[in-house]
Amino acid sequence: MEKLTQEIRKTAKEILEKGQANVVIGWEKGSAWYISTPVFIDKAEDVERLVWDEYCVNNLAKYLLDYKTVEGKVAIFVKGCDARGVNRLIQDKQVDREKVLIVGLSCPGMKDEKKAKELGKNAEIPLVKKCQECRYPEPIIFDIFLGEKGKKEPAKGKDFSDIKAIEKMSSDEKYDFFSENYDRCLRCYACRNVCPACSCRECIFDQSKSGWLGKANNASNNMFFGITRALHVAGRCIECGECERVCPVNIPIMLLNKKIIQDIDTLFGDYDAGLDPEGKLPLGGFEYSDPEEFM
Amino acid sequence: MLVIQKTKIKEILDTLAKEYKVIVPAKDGDTSKFIPYGDNTEMLLEENVQLPPKDVFFPQTEKMYKFKSKKNTMEIENLPIEGGKQLIFGIRSCDMKSLDCLDQVFLTKGTDEFYKEKRDKTALIALSCTKPKETCFCTSMGLDPQKAVGADVQAYDLGDKIGFEAITEQGKKIIASIEGQLSEESVVVPKFGEFKINVDVEGVPEKLKGMFESPMWDDISRKCLNCGACTYVCPTCHCFDISQEVRGEDGVKYRCWDSCMFGEYTQMAGGHNPRPTKKERVRNRFMHKLNYFVERYNMLLCTGCGRCINVCPVNMDITAIIKQVKEAE
Repeated sequence: MEKLTQEIRKTAKEILEKGQANVVIGWEKGSAWYISTPVFIDKAEDVERLVWDEYCVNNLAKYLLDYKTVEGKVAIFVKGCDARGVNRLIQDKQVDREKVLIVGLSCPGMKDEKKAKELGKNAEIPLVKKCQECRYPEPIIFDIFLGEKGKKEPAKGKDFSDIKAIEKMSSDEKYDFFSENYDRCLRCYACRNVCPACSCRECIFDQSKSGWLGKANNASNNMFFGITRALHVAGRCIECGECERVCPVNIPIMLLNKKIIQDIDTLFGDYDAGLDPEGKLPLGGFEYSDPEEFM
Repeated sequence: MLVIQKTKIKEILDTLAKEYKVIVPAKDGDTSKFIPYGDNTEMLLEENVQLPPKDVFFPQTEKMYKFKSKKNTMEIENLPIEGGKQLIFGIRSCDMKSLDCLDQVFLTKGTDEFYKEKRDKTALIALSCTKPKETCFCTSMGLDPQKAVGADVQAYDLGDKIGFEAITEQGKKIIASIEGQLSEESVVVPKFGEFKINVDVEGVPEKLKGMFESPMWDDISRKCLNCGACTYVCPTCHCFDISQEVRGEDGVKYRCWDSCMFGEYTQMAGGHNPRPTKKERVRNRFMHKLNYFVERYNMLLCTGCGRCINVCPVNMDITAIIKQVKEAE
């Protein structure tokens, strides 16, 4: 990965010097050995800040929204999940493909920073959950590709075991399970703000005057928030797992998203969001063959 | 010093629970926080909890009063005050200092009755730390992890035992009530471990005064997601918003935590927003912690608990920012 870091810096330098983009979005070393964090490079002399290691876990796609109204091109380094995030934004007409220069990297799977913090430098650090389940470690969209492909064996098939476990619960057990979890929610909105499928200019949850969602923190409001968000990203969630990773109180947020993904697969056929920016969304249109059990 | 075996700590808490509602640091699902002590409480005494105790005094959502609005009249009804005396056991130096900060805001320039009522009826048994977590930096903020400010009793983590030292008059009464369960021993308080984070904050508040327009803010704010995680896990952040729920004639006014990281926080009625981008919001958060609060109350609004560093999805690290301010030209 160190060799690739050198290549990343060289490529970023070229991009900036040749004026192929005004800014390069990548990762730099954070304040501890187990943290690499997003960085924005505007000047060729700053490319030394860029790194590529097994802690580059953040999905960078969301930052493209910050450049929506800024003139000029943006270069972005992508892993498999970042690439699907970029596709997400292109498909949702949030980002103009022409405006983005995508540099792909084969992802070896990122390590779990929370575990690293606990276990220390000499221990074997496991991959973060979202990477263990990842089926697309290779970027599926890029203009330039650095390094070699095949750094990680993709997971075979979607793992719905945790969903199946919840489906086995009684209604009361399910209610208790989700109440307990969402009771903890601080409504900090980290999950929403990191999500590449959350791109509304004005979010429903910020319109407190509308009365949709009260500002009071209670299980009812918190669950309304969780369920509404899950349904809003239904069919668009790229399974990058960032929502769950960033939750400060460790709510298993991906459970709702995965349940919806499972249902979409069952009702409308297997679908993976963020693979084809031109494709139709499973919930974005109507077909005569669509199931209509409730009609 | 009066001590008890750690394994017998529940016996003391049971005694205290006869007089107080006892609140302890404990596991809560996949996180940890201060919760009322009960038979099944999974106490966490090895390290500080992930959420601060500020909600004991300043709940995330707090009803203020009820009202009834008729055609031309409005009736206001105060809500009954709930609960009697309470006691927090196992609060650390950083969180004790945070109460000092909150006291400045809620008690010195005018009195916030909601906060005062809970603060007045809460006794505090602080617990010394022996080992800093990865993200701890309280000593850099001028605190002693083994001697808390403002505690009624200082308890010491002595390995397999806990020692007690009364500080205030109330603390002496607390110790008197459990004295029969403690034994007098001469003990040595274990030395405190090495901190991973050390930062020099000397001169930073003064220097920040001239840095409102510094280009540094553009740079450091770029990766911020403007979520409120940092402010909601912060023991000292105290901003709130007042809202209401109305059903027909009846309404309830309540207040709830708010965060300067949110765009809506400074949204004006006419549509103008004086802090339109993340740059202004990030700047405000650090200016408030390291400059405005110091100017107003002569103390930092950061106690070095490290919780914001622990939860930030993009590693926005206040100690790194302090260093950057120091190094700025």
